[in-house]
Amino acid sequence: MTEPKQGADPKLIVAIQMVSIGVILIILGVTVYLRSPIGKMAPFFRLNSILSTGAIFVTGVLFFIGGYIRYRKTKKK
Amino acid sequence: MYSNLIITGVYLVLMFAAGLFFSKNIKNTSDYFLAARSAPWFWIMGSIWATNIGFLHGYLAHGGAAYEWGLIQANFEWFQGPFGYIISGIFFIAFYWRAGIYTVPQFLERRYGSALSTIYSFAWLIIFVVTIAAELYLGGMFLKNILGIPFWPTVFVLTAVVGTYTLMGGLGAAIMMEFVQFIIMMLGTMPLLFILLNMVGGFTGLKNVLLTQWGISSQYFTVLPDIHHPYGPGPWIILGQCFVVTLGWCAGHQSMVQRNLGARSIYDAKLGYVVASIPKTLGAFLYIVPMVIAPVIFSQFGIFVEKSDAAYGKLIINLLPQGMLGLFIAGLLSAGLSSISSVLNSSSTMVIKDFYERFFVKGKSDHHYFIAGRVATFSIIAVSLLLVPVVLKVYLIMWLEQTLIAMVLGPFMGILMLAIFWKRANKPGSLAGFLTGGAFAIFLQQVMGVKIFFQISWWSFVVTLAVTIVVTLLTKPPSREKIEGLIWESDFKAKLGEVVDHRAEHNGSRVTGVPVLVLHKPAWYLNLKYWATAILLIQIVLLFFFG
Repeated sequence: MTEPKQGADPKLIVAIQMVSIGVILIILGVTVYLRSPIGKMAPFFRLNSILSTGAIFVTGVLFFIGGYIRYRKTKKK
Repeated sequence: MYSNLIITGVYLVLMFAAGLFFSKNIKNTSDYFLAARSAPWFWIMGSIWATNIGFLHGYLAHGGAAYEWGLIQANFEWFQGPFGYIISGIFFIAFYWRAGIYTVPQFLERRYGSALSTIYSFAWLIIFVVTIAAELYLGGMFLKNILGIPFWPTVFVLTAVVGTYTLMGGLGAAIMMEFVQFIIMMLGTMPLLFILLNMVGGFTGLKNVLLTQWGISSQYFTVLPDIHHPYGPGPWIILGQCFVVTLGWCAGHQSMVQRNLGARSIYDAKLGYVVASIPKTLGAFLYIVPMVIAPVIFSQFGIFVEKSDAAYGKLIINLLPQGMLGLFIAGLLSAGLSSISSVLNSSSTMVIKDFYERFFVKGKSDHHYFIAGRVATFSIIAVSLLLVPVVLKVYLIMWLEQTLIAMVLGPFMGILMLAIFWKRANKPGSLAGFLTGGAFAIFLQQVMGVKIFFQISWWSFVVTLAVTIVVTLLTKPPSREKIEGLIWESDFKAKLGEVVDHRAEHNGSRVTGVPVLVLHKPAWYLNLKYWATAILLIQIVLLFFFG
């Protein structure tokens, strides 16, 4: 039986996951915003749509930044 | 309509691409099956909840039941779920994690031998394959009804997306996607509640219409109805559902447990499971409460709903504008895909660890089992795809799945509790108890015609406990070495041992007698006890208002 291959660095895995999640949420948030007829919506629908899409976008940005910082730190070590 | 289609398409392409991108980091079986044991507690939290919510157990089926029966359906989200998550997180997960296992049957094998673990593993594999097929079928039907795109191409696209990222990236990719899906479900589909409440004039307006104008029973607004309720009598919900079914599900369902086994530490595994109670509780506001309001909206708009499972889809397609509907479709697809990926990844882990590596090809290299894991993932999704045309049409398949779940959960809970809390429990006792309990569950369901699932589980649990205890006492106890590290007592001693080693190593002092327990203290906001207490208080408040 041969030795198992050296596994991935757990910290690097988490950093990559965070950046990927950030990118997915940012692209999805922007796509939904661009494809939604915000101006034509009833006021309460408009408010909910902006809040929900905005929250997805902001979460994406936060994950992207957090993941990037972690990635840089892990790579430096 | 094109906007919704574009958003759905972008969502699926992102899932596919991210899965492929992530797969570059997967190098061995630990990376593939346990995500290199890297997941922090917040990954576990999102992933567990997303695993738990699907088309079957979530928006469509649970939402449909809420449309038909009312707020009682929220007991899954407000009491049983949090109860199961907290108890499993605090008591059971630590044993699995410390044992260094990949699957729940591996734990059973170490504690009780191979016969019981093989039966358990085999039963869950059948359940998993049927579940994947049913989720794919419901996903295909959902997109067909909402976007008007043909059924089979949709099913193939869903299979390709979820199959690719799970097959290539393993548990790490599955957890990552499930976290994205958790965010999309939470933030994307929550607005429906506010929109509906705004339309009916809040809870007061809703109660006024349903109770006063329509004369519906007040039982429609309670989560724990009286004992004569035909769908879920309150006492049985607490006894059978909370203590047996939900605990069995949370502590014995490989997909739920595997997410914890991928945690970077025991503490992350425990905290992730406990904190997952919060999204679980909020889940009721995503698809239960909106569906309790739905009858009023349908009557206002003159919409006819022929099947309760279709109610959620009808509601969003008739109510939401373009763009927002696209986000909802992505949210609902998230629910389905997260369930499929978790079950797919878990079933391939079970195939390799519980069958292939144990019985067929022993002692090969790690790389061999890593590739075998990918082949197993592909084979399972292929078999599930073949079952799609018949899964919900052939009565026998769904009957088999339901019967197996009823047969497995009660007895499993019985032997698991004895495994951890009674060091005398042994192999012959557990096997006899599990088989008798399972047979009794089938007898109750098929011969006695008991319809309420919680009753079946409760009585099969009781029978399992009784038979296991009697047979164990009549046979030889297990040896001390065999149960070391697998029972409550030895786990506690192991902790003490760690403290002794730590002290001796760091200050060189000789430790005599029982040492003072000085374990690593997490930051106050990550304290497990605070989270568990806060969540239990939330449950009490909810019970006060809706009990």
